[in-house]
Amino acid sequence: MHLAPVDYVILALYFAFVLGIGWLLKKRVTSSSEFLTSGRAIPVWITSLAFVAANLGAQEVIGMCASGAKYGIMTAHFYWIGAIPAMLFVGIFMMPFYYGSKARSVPEYLSLRFDEKTRGLNAMTFAVMTIFSSGVSMYALGLLFQLVLGWSFTSSVMLSAVIVLMYTLLGGLTSAIYNEVLQFFLIVMGFAPLAILATTKAGGWAGMSARLPAVMTHSWSYMSNPSQNPMGVDIFGLVAGLGFVLSFGYWCTDFLVVQRAMAADSMSGARRTPVIAAFPKMIMPFIVIVPGIAALALAKMNVGYVLPMKGSGYDYDQALTTLMAAFYPAGMLGVGLTALMASFMSGMAGNVTAFNTVFTYDIYQSYLHKGAPDSHYLMVGRITTVVGIALSIATAYLAQHYNNIMDLLQLVFGFVNAPLFATFLLGMFWRRATGHGAFFGLLSGTTAAALTHGLTIAEDKGGWIGALHTFPSVMAQNFYIAIFAWSTCFLVTILISTMTKPKTDSQLESLVYGLTKIPHEHGVPWYKRPGPLAVVVAVICIALNFLFW
Amino acid sequence: MLDLRIPSGFFFLLLGLTLTGLGVFDPGLRAPLLEVNVNLYAGVAMAIFGGVMLWLARKRV
Repeated sequence: MHLAPVDYVILALYFAFVLGIGWLLKKRVTSSSEFLTSGRAIPVWITSLAFVAANLGAQEVIGMCASGAKYGIMTAHFYWIGAIPAMLFVGIFMMPFYYGSKARSVPEYLSLRFDEKTRGLNAMTFAVMTIFSSGVSMYALGLLFQLVLGWSFTSSVMLSAVIVLMYTLLGGLTSAIYNEVLQFFLIVMGFAPLAILATTKAGGWAGMSARLPAVMTHSWSYMSNPSQNPMGVDIFGLVAGLGFVLSFGYWCTDFLVVQRAMAADSMSGARRTPVIAAFPKMIMPFIVIVPGIAALALAKMNVGYVLPMKGSGYDYDQALTTLMAAFYPAGMLGVGLTALMASFMSGMAGNVTAFNTVFTYDIYQSYLHKGAPDSHYLMVGRITTVVGIALSIATAYLAQHYNNIMDLLQLVFGFVNAPLFATFLLGMFWRRATGHGAFFGLLSGTTAAALTHGLTIAEDKGGWIGALHTFPSVMAQNFYIAIFAWSTCFLVTILISTMTKPKTDSQLESLVYGLTKIPHEHGVPWYKRPGPLAVVVAVICIALNFLFW
Repeated sequence: MLDLRIPSGFFFLLLGLTLTGLGVFDPGLRAPLLEVNVNLYAGVAMAIFGGVMLWLARKRV
């Protein structure tokens, strides 16, 4: 792929605006809470779009397009089952506790609701995980730009990292969130034309359905038996593993996304953030997955489009960039690549701003240096931003040399994350749940996840203890690992809680259901209330499932 | 506080005008599988989007 001068001009224009937004917000940052939590002052339309964009990293865009080519429209389950229900749940049912508790982060909520050891565990694992994932996505970006544009790994990694560093350092979380909105618009406008052009060329949805196996254009019809669908998963694994445990675990407890909602200017705004975000989220499959399906159809059509091979199969990860090269002329190609860069930056800034908050408030202020004046924590927040980005860069280089270590780390983080939602669910809706229960519930859930992995085999993965069961795919194995981890954590937390001393009702005010005032909004029009909006989202989402059944 | 519609409006207006200009003055720019003047259409759409943003910001809704 070759870039024309105008493409570089577009990329430069984007960088100028991103830095400019950081510059314009610089004056506002005078305290640690403005730098790290935006001082809870951001309008709801901005937090909503940032909520979607922080999750829409480059790996997501490229990976979803690849999965579209590999699994077909079934990939949309990651949105319609694996995101929307959880997004509605966190907005309607959980945000009153997160926002109402006045906690500045998710780990801080855990310390208020449970105890210090539960918070410490969550803060440490989260901090390491955010650095790791921003490093790994930086690595992926470096590789991609090397492959597609011939740019050196170091220059694309450094360029993007320095720009993210500059605008987050200037304007803090507000700057990251504002830029995420710009990035969201750019991602949509950079990729939507590609979806339209590729689909039209492939004969529209009808033409694609006619050319591809029926399983590629139906999301539910082939779910009854794992051997019939390319994902190799069954309905229970999909709905319970992905739709409940993994999805709720991510959208309802991951501070990276929850932080966006907590920055809203009111309780109502915080609750509406994930609900409004669900509108663009459920449309995203048409922008990122459908082009992948079109790529596969085009590859079979003899029109001059070639999806590169890798070994005996297609290299699906190249679907998006090869489509861009096939359909975008100079100019639009610059927009497409800038959109890719933007998606990478929004994901990275999301990780960095979540990391600096958790480190500053939940690790530094809680365990290393209590009671300093606020200006000290503002400085620590800034230094942490620099350190976080430096560590991400180091992780990217580590990934380049030791790919196996990265795979192992990713697996371990999966074990740590899987049981989390059980802890939050019990913490928010059962006032009898105790700190000891939560802590040991989490540990046993992680252990259960590791044991499930050790005792089962899928595509030669796992089974390092023995092989009691064989799954048809790694995806199915992951879904069941999550189910076992969640159930174990849920049961152990209940069991230990009943044997230990609970907090008193006055200590749990604003933290647990039944002891928290949920504001009733009389006289507010329905489209400004979270409940009715959630009903609209649910109806559209169910309709989409039927449309692509 | 900064109204985000102003910088993003200007960004898409500039980006849209650049693409529109490219589409008008160099309509022959083609990609292997492309059959329409995508620079022109996408450019006009982006310029309108940017313009609407700026107009909304001016009206202060």
